[in-house]
Amino acid sequence: MNATIVKLALQALLGRRRFWLLLGLPLALIGLTVLISSLSSDGEAAWPMVSFLGYPLVLPLVAILAASSVLGPEVDDGSIVYLLSKPVSRHVIAVSKWVVAWTATVGVGSLGVLAAALIAGGGDRALAWWIAALVAGTTYSALFLALSAFTRHAVVAGLIFVLIWEGLAGGFLSGVAWLSVGQWGIRVGHEISSLLDDPANLPWAVIASLVVTIGGVWFAGDRLRSFALTEDE
Amino acid sequence: MAERTGVIHDIGYRGYDGPREGTGALALTLYVTGLRHAFGLGRSGRSKVLPFLLLGLGVVPAVIVVGVVTMVRLNSLPVSYAAYLGQIQMLVTLFAAAQAPVLFSRDLRHRSIVLYLARPLPPALFALTRWASLASAILVFTLLPTLVLYGGGLLAGLDTGDETPVFLRSVALQLMLAALLAGITGLISSVALRRGFAVVASILALIVVAGVVLIVQEIAAYEGIEAVGEIAGLFSPWALHNGLAQAWEAGGRSTIVLTDAWAWTYLATALVVCAACLALLVRRFVKVGSR
Repeated sequence: MNATIVKLALQALLGRRRFWLLLGLPLALIGLTVLISSLSSDGEAAWPMVSFLGYPLVLPLVAILAASSVLGPEVDDGSIVYLLSKPVSRHVIAVSKWVVAWTATVGVGSLGVLAAALIAGGGDRALAWWIAALVAGTTYSALFLALSAFTRHAVVAGLIFVLIWEGLAGGFLSGVAWLSVGQWGIRVGHEISSLLDDPANLPWAVIASLVVTIGGVWFAGDRLRSFALTEDE
Repeated sequence: MAERTGVIHDIGYRGYDGPREGTGALALTLYVTGLRHAFGLGRSGRSKVLPFLLLGLGVVPAVIVVGVVTMVRLNSLPVSYAAYLGQIQMLVTLFAAAQAPVLFSRDLRHRSIVLYLARPLPPALFALTRWASLASAILVFTLLPTLVLYGGGLLAGLDTGDETPVFLRSVALQLMLAALLAGITGLISSVALRRGFAVVASILALIVVAGVVLIVQEIAAYEGIEAVGEIAGLFSPWALHNGLAQAWEAGGRSTIVLTDAWAWTYLATALVVCAACLALLVRRFVKVGSR
């Protein structure tokens, strides 16, 4: 980790308009959950806000935004050369940037999910969703950082992974759960509250999450070592 | 100073005195180029990957549905036209969100817009042409799978008299949907010039909002307060499309069942939103053009 790179990445994250989008997403989620739990007479009515909106949509979107804002703009306008020309290991750069993206994802995204879950009913189930969001948020941020280092279309690629693979294909084919970051998190959360689904098995979920996280950050660093600046739009 | 002795040699350059095409031809060329660019045609190989991948993902299930109809000898489509679009709405939205920056952001970000506007093409017409390109691209995207369903269904022996009106109504709704999606994503990407930012904002405005609307509608249906569900539907293009498809029998499914007055309200909302997006787009490009 390198304090200066962390500081620069934080500035890239906080100093732009996208920070408001980053913050607005969970706030909107919390607001809507409040609205629905007050509208409905059924005590369970607000849980879909967590299980269909907060966890599978808001959390990955926050992770995509965070991961692509710490790396994306620099790659886009080419100023990453100045960073890469410093005598700092590329892996250190990747780890530092990931720490910032991870902090934002876990801080804004997971806490948003937790807040929504607490409003929706609280209890063990809320804790379970929070743990799930922590696990998935960690894995997502590393995965999307690797994507940002790999392609300029990282945002779209990440969205395809989340919306098409995990969302659309995951809805039809139950086997997708074995290769779905969101489902791994849910499996870990299942240990705390059995109200969460039970896809895949626990060792697989934990090991796969770890492998993708560590592998993702390492891959991002590796890509930065052999970075092609003349990629077309 | 010595007397000049140089001569101007006539080396054969000639002025152009052929026919000159007007603004219409300019707009048409721009429209066709825009439509091609939305699918990555005429651009690098890498930019073709995404639109055609999404298009493939959108068409393959339709082929499978037709296969099922053929094998099992059904006498109607298990998933009809508008309901099928409801199923692949994620793909359509992603296509619109990902390709809108191609047409709207790049010229503004790299300031190549001044080169376009140096021609006798008014900024307003430029904006409308870009919108028309994107809307047509989205229409092609939605029309292709429904055509596969329609054509495949007819070949498999479905009744032409039953299917054709439903199909035509669905096409009419697709026109509305394409106009709306192109207006919204186009407006977002002409304001948010960074590609990733624009894509996420479009996804937020279309998919996240559609998800919220769906949840609100389900709860409203469960609680028996239809009015809330009907009003909620006004906020998402997909809820507008699905609601109208259900009401006007275009083979759609929707949580809420619209009465006649609501159906017309939905249509009016769609037109107003589309017109508003176009007005804002035109304003944006006129402002950029005057700088």
